[in-house]
This record gives sequence, C-alpha cells and structure tokens, in this order.
Amino acid sequence: MNALETILENLTTNEQLPAPWVESGGVYWLNAPDLNIREVAHAMNALRARFITITAYQLPGSKGLRLEYHWDLDGRLLGFSFPLAAKSIESIYDLCEAVDWIEREVHEGFAVVFAGREYEPLLLREGNTCGVNLRETGAPGKPGSGLLGQEEVAK
Amino acid sequence: MSYKIPMGPYHPALEEPYKLDIICEGETVSDAKLHVGFNFRGIEHLAETRNYIQVIALMERVCGICSNIHTLTLCQALEKLTGLTPPPRAQYIRVIIAELERLHSHVLWAGIAAKLMGFKTMFMTCFEIREQVMDVLQAISGNRVNYSMNRIGGVNRDIEDPAAILSMIEALERGMVKTIIPIFTTSTTARSRCAGIGVLTNEKAISLGVVGPVARASGVGQDLRRAAPYAAYSEMEFEVPVQPDGDVRARLLVRALEIMESCKILRQALTKLPAGELHTGDGKFNFITGTATSRVEAPRGEVMYSVSWREHSRNPSRVHVRTPTFVNMPSVRWMVQGARLADTPLIQASIDPCYSCTDR
Repeated sequence: MNALETILENLTTNEQLPAPWVESGGVYWLNAPDLNIREVAHAMNALRARFITITAYQLPGSKGLRLEYHWDLDGRLLGFSFPLAAKSIESIYDLCEAVDWIEREVHEGFAVVFAGREYEPLLLREGNTCGVNLRETGAPGKPGSGLLGQEEVAK
Repeated sequence: MSYKIPMGPYHPALEEPYKLDIICEGETVSDAKLHVGFNFRGIEHLAETRNYIQVIALMERVCGICSNIHTLTLCQALEKLTGLTPPPRAQYIRVIIAELERLHSHVLWAGIAAKLMGFKTMFMTCFEIREQVMDVLQAISGNRVNYSMNRIGGVNRDIEDPAAILSMIEALERGMVKTIIPIFTTSTTARSRCAGIGVLTNEKAISLGVVGPVARASGVGQDLRRAAPYAAYSEMEFEVPVQPDGDVRARLLVRALEIMESCKILRQALTKLPAGELHTGDGKFNFITGTATSRVEAPRGEVMYSVSWREHSRNPSRVHVRTPTFVNMPSVRWMVQGARLADTPLIQASIDPCYSCTDR
C-alpha cells in the first residue's frame, strides 16, 4: 500500500478525518506533497467516489494557474489542489469518463493542456482561440475590454 | 447508408439553443455529437467585477428556471467566508422556496415532455398547474422568475401567512394527484412513448457521474438533501424516489414521485416554520481570505459553487459554477444510440436540459 492509499484509507474508516486532511470552506483538502492526479484518480475510482468538477484559478502575476479537483464520497466533498507552473497536467479522461467536458472547458477557458487526450470544441467554435478566461486576453479594466476593473466597480 | 441530421441550434423541441448532430443509419441513430456554447455570457468572469450585493443579483440570472437555487448556493458559500449562520426561520424559508422551485421546474418539464409525446392536452394541463405554483411564488416574493429571496446570512422576505400558503399547496397537490401523477404513471400514451427508450444503464450513469433525477432514474440513489443536508433539510422527512430502468419513463416516474415528495416537504416546512429573525448581520460583511464551496440539490441535480475572496475586497476573485446539466448533457449521446430518430427530441428533453446553466 503506497502513501496515498494509506491516506485515503482514512476516508472509509474515520468520521473526522485526521491530518493531512484539512477541512476548509466545506471541503476536505488533502495536503500531501507530490500528489499525482492520475494516482488520485485511481484511488478515487477504487473508493467509488463520484467526480464532480475541476475549478481553475489564475494566480496573481506570473505564478501561473491552480487546478482544484473535487470528488464526492458519500456526501463528503474531497478536494485536491495542483499548482501548474507550465499550464500542463496529465489528463485523467481515460480513468474517469466524467471529466471529459470539464477538461475541455478548462482547456478553452484557461489554455491548460491536459496531456494524453484529444479535444473537440465545447463552448468555443472552431477557429476560436483558447484562453478566453485568462486576464491577459480579456482582462476587466484593460483598454478595449469594455469591462470595468475591480477597483473601478468597488468605488 | 449513414447520414447526418442536424437538430438545432434552433428547433421546436429545444427550449434554448444547442445543437445535436445526429448520425443515422436509416431511421436508427448510431451516434450523436453535442454542441453547446450558444448561451455563453461570461458570467463567471463578470462575477469578478461585481461586489457582494451585485454578484447575488448576477448569479440569479444564470438560469431562468432554477434562479433561486443559484443564489442559495452562492449565499451558502459566502456565509462560510463571512462566518454568518442564517437563523432557523430563514433556513425554513429557503427550503420552502427551493421546493416550490422544484415543483414548478418538474411540472414545466412534464408539460414539455407531454408536448414532445404528442399529448398536447396534457401540456396545457401541466402549464395550468404550473401557473398555480408561480402564483404561490409570486405571493411570497412578488416575482415570478428572479425571486430575490436570498441574501448573505438569511432571506430578504418573510412568509407572513404560512396557513394561506399551505392551503394553496394543498389545492395544488390535489390537482397534481388528480391529473399529472396518474396520467404520467399509468396512461398508455405515456407508457408507449417512453418505456424502453433512451436507456442510460446504471453502470454508464455512474461512469458519467450524472446527477439528479437522471441519476435516480438509473438506479443511483444520490440526493444532497439526504447525503449532505443544507438549510433545514435535516429536519424534514421525505423519500428519495429511485427507479432502476434508466429509460425515459423512469425519468418521468422519478420526477412525478418527486413532485409528491416536494409537497410533503412543503407541508412540513410550512407547519413547523419557526418564529424569529429573517437574517443575521447588519448588511456589512467581513470576508476572510480563502475559498468556500457549497452544494445544493437543484431540480435537475447537484449545483456546486466555489467562491474565492480576498480580505478587504468588495468583489470575489473567482466564482466557479458547476451546474447539473453540464454533467448530464454528455449522457444524451449514449441515450440516443440505437434509438429511433423520431424519439431523439423526447430523449434529449428527458434530462430536463438547461443550456443557459450549462454555458453560463
């Protein structure tokens, strides 16, 4: 049994999850170093957890992106966070069919490459550029964007 | 010979625009491709430019049918970031509005399904009953679409005369028991048009992670009101209807039975409505830095919001919305495979799709 499997075993045996699980904002986060998304997906499949979604965050400055993966296990919401410096992460589509549309949406919205899969357009039409939600390309408050910046709205 | 038939983006069977490219062998569908994005409004991006009052009004407009659910889910997430707990009366009112919304959504869907079955008198009956639900919602909130009931820390409006609302609910329930439920559960027309078509097997439903009535009609008994109760649902007694067959009729039965369960919840909530305040807090909020997540069982299934905030900011730094149709839509491809071409409008409608929610 590897370290991840040992940690995940807590899910089925404990009501209150011990460290490295941390409950925050309605989610049990696994704060373990060197998490690998494919190992997590394998473990979630073994537990018959239900995949929910991926949330992408654009970090300030040049810190890149962060992806948060969520699964439901018997009403308990589990979260796994992955910082992306290179805008690329392995796809888990072959392990988890439910991830298909959200990987495509994150790819189109934030130009994240999910390695190991092919894409068809989801929300965008053919020929559109990926990354429509990135602030560099359509930032609120930037000239020509037509949107107010946060500072302007907050006045 | 294989040929492709486009359905949509504008089509009489579609409530909103989306496109289904249907690949046929003769009259039999061999595969289908779905195209969404026609209602994309950039709402998640817009939310980052709205303050904590404006963002509630914005998210109420993600969907025109389950508008209340979006503000409920958002407010629950914002309450985690502000440390506020709504008072018991507000929690009960949230349950009442959520169940009324489920009623009108399910009856609206029943009407559209009846029309697609070729059962137009039933369509008229469903919409007549739905109007009564809308009257109740209007009596409580003053509005028919965007009820503006939720705020951070509670609700905006009271239910001043629960007994009057209860009598309206009882009249509504009598109408449903007399017409919608028996016709959809026992009539030959409904059975012949719906039984055995658009099957989503239990294994495929689990694999695709479908939610709500679509999952429950394929034997997956998940319901957040039971598994992870919110508002005052932990104090309500109700059943979660589950059907094993996975066909259009199973989805019809699950929704019909859920209408009855919603009436049961409404009766309990209106009878036990506790006295007290409608909200906590003085309207000024201190957000902590962090991300909060909230989930709610909408009429179509699980809605999830992730909201990030920076302390002292008036606007969220990120709002992500995962809607039920977003996860249910891919299942249409598997439901229509092997079906007759003439059945595809009803099959795709059987998931009760909402493309405005999907595209945001």
